[in-house]
Amino acid sequence: MTAGTLSHLAAAVRTKASTASAARAAFRASSPFISAQRATSTVRFSSSSQSGSAGNDASNSLNGTPEQYDVVIVGGGIAGSALACALASGRASGTQKIALIEAFDLSGHMQWSPKPDQYSNRVSSLTPRSVLFLKQIGVWSELDLSRVAPCEGMQVWDGVSGARITFDGADAKKDSTRSSFLRQVFSGASSTPASSAEFFDDQQQQPDFSKEQESSPLAYMTENLHVQYGLQKQILAHKARGIQLDIFERTKVQDISSNTSSGQESDASVDISDWPVIQLDNGRKLQTRLLVGADGVNSPVRTFAKIESLGWDYSQFGLVATLQIDPSTSTAPDQGKGIAWQRFLPTGPIAMLPLNNGFASLVWSTTPKIAQDLKKLPAKEFCALVNAAFNASPAELEYLCKNIGPDGQPLVDFQSEIEWRASVQDAEKGGINRGREDYKAPKVVDVQENTRAPFPLRMRNSNSYVEDRVVLVGDAAHTVHPLAGQGLNQGLADVECLARVIEQGLLSGSDIGNIHSLTPYSSERFFPNLAMLGTVDKLSKLYNTDFGPVVWARSLGLTAVDNMGPIKTEIMRFAMGLEEPTSSRRV
Amino acid sequence: MSARTITAATANATIASIRARSLALTRRPAHWTRCATLFTCRSPLEPPTGKLYEGHIPISPLQRSILAVGSAFTALANPLRGDMVAALGETTGGMFLARIRDQMLLDPEGRRILRERPKITSESMQLDALRQLPDGTFGREYVRFLDDQQVSPDTREPVHFVDSEELAYVMQRYRETHDFYHTLTGLPVTVDGEIALKWFEMLQTGLPMTMLSSFFGPLRLTSEERSRLHEYYIPWALEYGSSSKLLMNVRWEEWMDRPVEEVQRELGVQPCPQV
Repeated sequence: MTAGTLSHLAAAVRTKASTASAARAAFRASSPFISAQRATSTVRFSSSSQSGSAGNDASNSLNGTPEQYDVVIVGGGIAGSALACALASGRASGTQKIALIEAFDLSGHMQWSPKPDQYSNRVSSLTPRSVLFLKQIGVWSELDLSRVAPCEGMQVWDGVSGARITFDGADAKKDSTRSSFLRQVFSGASSTPASSAEFFDDQQQQPDFSKEQESSPLAYMTENLHVQYGLQKQILAHKARGIQLDIFERTKVQDISSNTSSGQESDASVDISDWPVIQLDNGRKLQTRLLVGADGVNSPVRTFAKIESLGWDYSQFGLVATLQIDPSTSTAPDQGKGIAWQRFLPTGPIAMLPLNNGFASLVWSTTPKIAQDLKKLPAKEFCALVNAAFNASPAELEYLCKNIGPDGQPLVDFQSEIEWRASVQDAEKGGINRGREDYKAPKVVDVQENTRAPFPLRMRNSNSYVEDRVVLVGDAAHTVHPLAGQGLNQGLADVECLARVIEQGLLSGSDIGNIHSLTPYSSERFFPNLAMLGTVDKLSKLYNTDFGPVVWARSLGLTAVDNMGPIKTEIMRFAMGLEEPTSSRRV
Repeated sequence: MSARTITAATANATIASIRARSLALTRRPAHWTRCATLFTCRSPLEPPTGKLYEGHIPISPLQRSILAVGSAFTALANPLRGDMVAALGETTGGMFLARIRDQMLLDPEGRRILRERPKITSESMQLDALRQLPDGTFGREYVRFLDDQQVSPDTREPVHFVDSEELAYVMQRYRETHDFYHTLTGLPVTVDGEIALKWFEMLQTGLPMTMLSSFFGPLRLTSEERSRLHEYYIPWALEYGSSSKLLMNVRWEEWMDRPVEEVQRELGVQPCPQV
């Protein structure tokens, strides 16, 4: 991957950073714009000797000579911002000249001032591993812990057969030191690089992982905006202490090209002819040693690098919303506090994730038509339907979804239909001597206004995560079905690994843009990501049917796993990110 | 998925589960015992439910299996044993009845039937009033059929072995509406006529009992009857059984004064070729 492929790269690819993420735009639109931060980057005082960037300035950049950077990150979402933070906090990588380009507003995140009775609809579950990483880069301590909800248990069941599996965080901490079969299968890393901890400056902030294990929630639920806020705050702190970290916000990438014959006055010792050149829509040009694509599923950087991305679109949409619940209606212990509920329906899984103050976040994967209808349905009927989705039979749910009019008006009386079916179901249950009564999810009483938003579900994996001078992280590299809540966690694991690989590369004096220095990143992340994608994809397909024999087999399997403690623990630890190399070697 | 449909539970697993149960009484169950109980959520010797409705006879999974096999052979030996055909239908219905119920739930008419649970008796049908209807109406032809066969809607066997109140009603309704099918299709009450109707019902409902009757019923026919079945009845049943409206969702009681041809047209069923 050297001279031969350069000619491929030469063909400039027109890109539009607006594709970075339409969904992100939706929730950013609410943040107020501030322009003070806009051009903080014009003059840099010095550049490190390693970087090889000649001291150039804005005028240079404007009249056609590109400004030189060591790392340019395209996309200021969580993955991109986290990478900027991680690099800035590294001992060696902190000396590099870094740029972060984002099409939307970033400084607006600093104005994030949530009300206790309002939650954004984009919520992620952060696994213990992701939380550990956020602690390492100093972001976790910036967060408002009253808006982080620990998820200590999980109830997952089959909507067709009722087979159920329950996860309890307390089980996962047992045997925490044991290397397991699943770990050997799923964590592709063959090498065991030294702990990432030593690469970060803030040693005193290193959390004690064994202590972490004691409370051991399965995951922490928090709003994406909240994480963005913490990241942004940390980025500003890094800038304040003199890290060369330039933010280009509300700036789109117009074009990326590999500048083969610029013939400019660079110093003779460094050949920068193969460094990619990024043309921004504010007229500036950046040339970089390493270009990082953190620009989402339609990544322009990936297109530039001619990396193919394989996968498919599910014929499903996800619908998110912020719900208000009545915890006293849950039959789980402690009013179901900190329990995530997920029911697999033939149209897709529906999940309710716990937030604080009697709120919950909904992710309902269903057919595109139903997702659009649900968005338009009046709040009262919507809540009734969500409750039915957790309790009623799939046939009942199908009937109700069919009876949503073109303008979202209900064509039948939802409340009375649901009550009638519930009374029939209760009468049936009364006669059966069930040994164990399954816990019931709490009732939804209201949905926060303007939080219902549908988005398409897809699966993608890039054929490769690295090219010469280009590396992909997060959604740009891989996109996964949200049913296991793993997308963001995979992205953060990528970022953690990439920051470590760059740090190591710098310490050993190699060119961090060279594909050979990036290969360790690719080989550590590619297989675990692929395994996760594959697992989630198969689960989604397995549950996307109500065909009798399949339902029977999957229910038997689920009940079996639920009864086999050790296997269940392994699955839990895998989903919590405890099985992968970073965390396990820290124990 | 309830254990009673898992008829493949092996004797070994059964014994293991019984042992597991006795162990579980004394100490916290170990993983292996919990695994063993997977295959039978409860003992095959105890009925899974108490009495759920009038006429319900709760039976254990073991009794159910014996009854299913026994009734199947008896019904094959003597197709006129209506009670045996009924028992076969009920013991093997399980999840297929639930599927019919779900299809009814998706249809406004079907939901109305499930909600109101109308019964078909000589009283509710007002047979005398139906006799006054003009010739050619569905009600008149229906009563004519009853009178010809000297049967009454009250002679239907009640449901005993379905472990759900609502599914028992579905079974009951399926059984009660059977005579309307004869009127609708024009099939006679002969062995081959009934078998043709079972084919039709198999495509409509998917019940295992209709399947067994469809495949094993013809064994008892003469070659002449069998060739008639294969040449006319089965092709007809295959065509209209799958293309017509689901007849479980039809509120027959309200169609009595309409001409038979109109009913056939609306439900998408052509009368069976008369041979």
